[in-house]
Amino acid sequence: MKTLTLILLLCLALTVMAHDYVPAPPQDHPILLKGGTAFTITDGTLEDTDVLFDNGRIAAIGRDLTPPDGCEIIDVAGKHVYPTMVATGTSLGLTEIGAVRATNDAREVGRINPDVQTRMAYNPDSEIIPTTRSNGVGYAQIMPGGSLLQGRSCLVNLDAWTQEDAVEVSEVALHLAWPAVTISTGWWEERSAEEQKKDMIKNREAIGRTFDDAHAYYLARKANPNIEIDSRWEAMVPVFDRELPVWVHANDYRQIEQAIAFSRRYGFRMVLLGGCDAALAIDLLKENSIPVVYGYSTALPNRSDNDYDQAFIVPRLLYDAGIPFCIGKFSATAVRNIAFDAGMAEGFGLDHDIALRSVTLSAAEIMGAESEIGSLEVGKKASIVVSDGDLLDFLTHHVTMMFIEGRKVDLDDKHKELYRKYRDRKGPGAGSGN
Amino acid sequence: MKNAVILLVALLVGSASAQTTPPLGIIDKTPHLKAFTNARIVIDPDRTINDGTLVIDHGKILAVGSSVEVPPGAEVFDLQGKTIYPGFIDPYAEYGLERAPDPETRKARHPIYDAVRVGGDAWNDAIHAEVDWSRYFAPDHEAAEPWLKQGFTSVQAVRMDGVLRGRSFVTSLGSGLPNDLLVRPYGWQVAAFHKGKSPQEYPGSLMGAIALLRQTFHDVTWYRQAHAAYRKDPSQRMPEFNCAIEALQHLPQEKIIFATGNTLDLLRAARIADEFSLDAVILGSGHEYARIKEVAASGRTLIIPLDFPAPPAVTTIEDELDVTLATLRHWERAPSNPAVLEQNGVAFAFTASGLDKKDEFLSRLRKAVKHGLSRQTALAAITTVPAEICGVADMVGSIVAGKSADFVICDGDIFDDGTAIYATWTQGVPEEFIPLDEPSFAGSYALTLGGGEYNLTITDNRKKGKRKIEGKLLRDSISVSLKDIAHEQDLISFAAALDTFGASGIARFTGRLVASSLGGTVVLGDGSRHTWAAVADTAEVTSTNNTNENEEHDGEITLVSRLTSPNRAFGLETQPPQQNVLIKNATVWTSDTEGVLPNTDVLVTDGHFAAVGQGLTAPDGYMVIDGTDKHLTAGIIDEHSHICISGDVNEGTDAISSEVRISDVVNPDDISMYRSLAGGVTCARIIHGSANPIGGQAEIIKYRWGGGSEDIKYRQAPPSIKFALGENVKQSGWGDQFTTRYPQTRMGVETIIRDAFQTSREYETAWANYTRFGKKDRERTIPPRRNLRWDALVDVMNSKSFITCHAYVQTEVLMLMRLAEQYGFRVPTFIHILEGYKIADEMAAHGAMASSAPDWWAYKFEVYDAIPHNPCILHNHGVVVSINSDSHDMQRRLNQEAAKSVMYCGMSEVDALNMVTINPAKQMKIDQFTGSITVGKDADFVIWNGPPLSVYAHPEQTWVEGRQYFSIEKDLAEREAIEKERTALIQKLLTTDNKDAPPGEKKKGDGDKGPYVDPGTKGGSL
Repeated sequence: MKTLTLILLLCLALTVMAHDYVPAPPQDHPILLKGGTAFTITDGTLEDTDVLFDNGRIAAIGRDLTPPDGCEIIDVAGKHVYPTMVATGTSLGLTEIGAVRATNDAREVGRINPDVQTRMAYNPDSEIIPTTRSNGVGYAQIMPGGSLLQGRSCLVNLDAWTQEDAVEVSEVALHLAWPAVTISTGWWEERSAEEQKKDMIKNREAIGRTFDDAHAYYLARKANPNIEIDSRWEAMVPVFDRELPVWVHANDYRQIEQAIAFSRRYGFRMVLLGGCDAALAIDLLKENSIPVVYGYSTALPNRSDNDYDQAFIVPRLLYDAGIPFCIGKFSATAVRNIAFDAGMAEGFGLDHDIALRSVTLSAAEIMGAESEIGSLEVGKKASIVVSDGDLLDFLTHHVTMMFIEGRKVDLDDKHKELYRKYRDRKGPGAGSGN
Repeated sequence: MKNAVILLVALLVGSASAQTTPPLGIIDKTPHLKAFTNARIVIDPDRTINDGTLVIDHGKILAVGSSVEVPPGAEVFDLQGKTIYPGFIDPYAEYGLERAPDPETRKARHPIYDAVRVGGDAWNDAIHAEVDWSRYFAPDHEAAEPWLKQGFTSVQAVRMDGVLRGRSFVTSLGSGLPNDLLVRPYGWQVAAFHKGKSPQEYPGSLMGAIALLRQTFHDVTWYRQAHAAYRKDPSQRMPEFNCAIEALQHLPQEKIIFATGNTLDLLRAARIADEFSLDAVILGSGHEYARIKEVAASGRTLIIPLDFPAPPAVTTIEDELDVTLATLRHWERAPSNPAVLEQNGVAFAFTASGLDKKDEFLSRLRKAVKHGLSRQTALAAITTVPAEICGVADMVGSIVAGKSADFVICDGDIFDDGTAIYATWTQGVPEEFIPLDEPSFAGSYALTLGGGEYNLTITDNRKKGKRKIEGKLLRDSISVSLKDIAHEQDLISFAAALDTFGASGIARFTGRLVASSLGGTVVLGDGSRHTWAAVADTAEVTSTNNTNENEEHDGEITLVSRLTSPNRAFGLETQPPQQNVLIKNATVWTSDTEGVLPNTDVLVTDGHFAAVGQGLTAPDGYMVIDGTDKHLTAGIIDEHSHICISGDVNEGTDAISSEVRISDVVNPDDISMYRSLAGGVTCARIIHGSANPIGGQAEIIKYRWGGGSEDIKYRQAPPSIKFALGENVKQSGWGDQFTTRYPQTRMGVETIIRDAFQTSREYETAWANYTRFGKKDRERTIPPRRNLRWDALVDVMNSKSFITCHAYVQTEVLMLMRLAEQYGFRVPTFIHILEGYKIADEMAAHGAMASSAPDWWAYKFEVYDAIPHNPCILHNHGVVVSINSDSHDMQRRLNQEAAKSVMYCGMSEVDALNMVTINPAKQMKIDQFTGSITVGKDADFVIWNGPPLSVYAHPEQTWVEGRQYFSIEKDLAEREAIEKERTALIQKLLTTDNKDAPPGEKKKGDGDKGPYVDPGTKGGSL
């Protein structure tokens, strides 16, 4: 209750000075978080440890560090200190109100859109973003939607004035939604099983042709840099150079198997996003070193006959098999729950350190940002979260401070604001509770 | 014989003068007197004559028996070696009628809420009760042929369209004028749960269709009373004429046919029939074995299709992924469904409807016999029982003098593989498939040709009705196959390569069968013409029938699948027993005034909590569970769920649909129940969706997994009803064509609900006035029409039924509370209620409770002010708050959803857990029975592996009323059993000869719940 009051005071102070949540200015003095329990990710859990950062980067981690001149010392004794969480698969900043068309920017029309980029539309002022920060998420991958080649995602920090300020990795991946493979038997389905199968083959052939065309362009472009630019295929040059990975969205075993064969045929770096059936494809994923962005650790089983915990145990199975994976959330508003998705995986057998890693460093690694973020390491960006207790459990998760690149982030949000506005309202009939 | 003579005379008198149609040209007076001799005659399922004579004339049976004399002048058919069966009757067909046309729909622009009214018909376009389908009947020989080939001689037909489909007719499948073919022009009314081609929106759901039927059956009574009263006192307002309701006036004295497509619907039809004391015959689906006890208890006669499923596609491991255990089981067990029905004393007839190809009917029937159906019952199911169902037992269904000359001539037992039907006679007219006197060319012949001696061997077989003739020429152990074999009656022609024998080229033979020898003309390879003769040298004749290549015999089937309830993965073979239990030394979250009790024992006796305390001892026979380090809570209760509902959860058509009832469509087969038990849920309110301001009546279920739809209903719970406000009911997100239904604004939402309340009150008053009349006045006064829509609202206003109202923004919540107050009642529960925090005091003052979700927001505009602190504010202002799921997924983690209030706004863990136990029980008005660990309440409880609100916690055991429905151990054992059974079934499939049925054909409606939907993308339409 004490900390709650503290936050409230803090929030009140902020609302007095601003009508919105102002991005924090660059770090202009060293800060020492003193005496907390540091969950470093790379170097284990360090009790009673100080974390010193300056100029936006972590300067030192250890016991009883000597604060440099002008250092702000913040006592975090008894509290947990983590790297900020890194969310994958989100549509933050691309959608505000799902049912209001004007606020949706996640899906471009058409099926071959390798040239669209989410960073062109990311709205850093979305009201959803502060509510996400409040639960310890500092970075998020912004992913396009749509069918087949959806576009390219970026990785942003969640405390920025503009999309340009926000970008951490401007091109994370090209996104490919693998066509469906399940025969639909629902009442709405008008095609026979055979017709559906034919359509599925057609869809797969369409991707093949697209990659053939793009590859032909790639070869021509390498031979002659002066050919006419095809906007779509130009965007895929880095894919064939193996610079830009392709994140294939696939859940069914057959999709996963087909996608891996496809990646081998065209020689691109593949990441699997989704992975409901990953348990069936463990050997394939391992042999081909395919990292997995798993988004279903709290979800329903993939098939009606599956075990009730089929979706819950996939992270543990991936870990046991040595397959690199992270836990993501394919949503905007629900991204704030990724800590609990990791907690759920832990509840179903994943080791605590690995659960934490799955929403921090592992996510950064899969997005190629591990040298800058994702762990508490000297030299990395000082993107840090302080919680009253275990970040992954509702009962202890209580984020009291967040720093992004050493900048102290405003943790107020629309929800807290409305809470303050209404919590003590006295209406007619007050006190007549049932 | 005397009778036959009398009948013969009667027919002679009648035949020429009884029909109205004037003949054109020369009048046909061909005699029709025929006698069939030396036949095995199956009179009916109980009586067979081994060597009998059948005499018919003018379409009627004159005589049948073993000592019947052939009348002089009769045309005689020697049926030595043949069997005569009564013609088969299909009691459910769409024959001789045009299929219902696709409606010219205005739907492209706007949905249609009203019907085009013609001739005083029903208000709903799915009701065709007034149609006598015999008036539209046109005999259709091409359509009749497939039935005739399978031995059917008559059918009961109706257009298969609509909820009340009109009156069936029974007709012969012969050719001619409908006037002569209609055996029973006015049959029975036919009902179904589909609106068919009606373009009108209502009814859009299964529960809507049932409600429409129920209302219409009530209207039948009202209509009779109203018109009787009007005749007595014509000064009253004239009651409407309604040809559909008028056509239903005889229902109480008649049969009604209910067409259903699955076993749950079959049971629903039986319940509706019980409700209105209707003599219903129900069309089933072939899945009856899976709920045979309930089916048998319904006591109804059934019509059973034989559409056994195609073998599931399991030949590739990829295809196998789409095949459920239930599908595999049904493949194995469907053929034994008729045997199971028989063993359980269910009366039934078979129908060929539902079969893609009618020519598979007999082979399916034979398969059913191999799977244990007795031949006697099988025959009854295609003769006497359907005759009874169709009301024509005095005319058809057995070979008895005076009945229609409808019979089948075949060459053996009809249930043996290989038995071929030679002819099907309808009303004394044959449809011949194999000539009775068909010669067989089979034999071994000595053939002399050009001085050479050959052996000519011919085989002549029928396989599945198709004749196949093969042959070879043999000399000096060199053999040449005959080719280009053709035949017509006793003529056969073939070619043979004689160069093999040293002659030149190909010789072409043509010959006739005379006695047992063949002979005719041959043209040799050199062009020379000769005559040839072949004399049969042995008596070896290959039988033309009964090549019984199938090794299986009646009833000799080994099943590897299990039968569970529900019959799917994780179904139960038996209900778990009610156990007396002592849980020792657990941390007990009582959800009662005691709060959390450490190291406490809980005693469960006869399904109820018997004691809570320390140091309790287990009486004899009690199971003891060590609760050390475990947490014990009351079962989780979900105030807002849509699991276990068959069909659409919305009757989202008319703005008011208070007459529809979830209780009509409870689906106990939904795997969601088991999964939720694994999440600690023991009870839920399953409710109508939010597509209209006044939705439908809710049902409260206990998670008695494995029980039937009636078993899982929680009878202690009072009735409740779903209301909804805001964007969904004004169709904001439905698409551009949905702009015409009233209301389209929150203003209109208020108005239409107010109007409904007012009308219901006036309706109640009208009834009160009417019931005060004495008997005499009542007979003279048109009664108020029983209106199920208003009945439900009268109960709401009298606080006999309770509203659970979908609402988001504060304005609409205040609106409904004030409206209710004006009509003198309260709205007990608002669901979603995401802006409840803005008017917490007003809600508390009204007495409203809140059932919410913690952190869903921003999916539509009305939830843009939703905050996760909402439950805390409401709770702190004295509102009883629950957390609900509204989701098949979230339902399994309601403890976590409750924990979010601890996290966001510091609610105590005890209060938070209460939000998913005792608080929803209060909202559902079942808190005196369940919702807490309190002595005397239902023993609904969960044993957790840790503190129940932790993200790391999950249930280890879930109990409902002292029965353990989930435990991790049982679940793991079941997984193994499923895997084993599945493997065995797949191996059986792979080793079964499936050449008759192409694998992998999926039929619509076999699916489960549709594709997986990411919960993160789920909208709020429910």
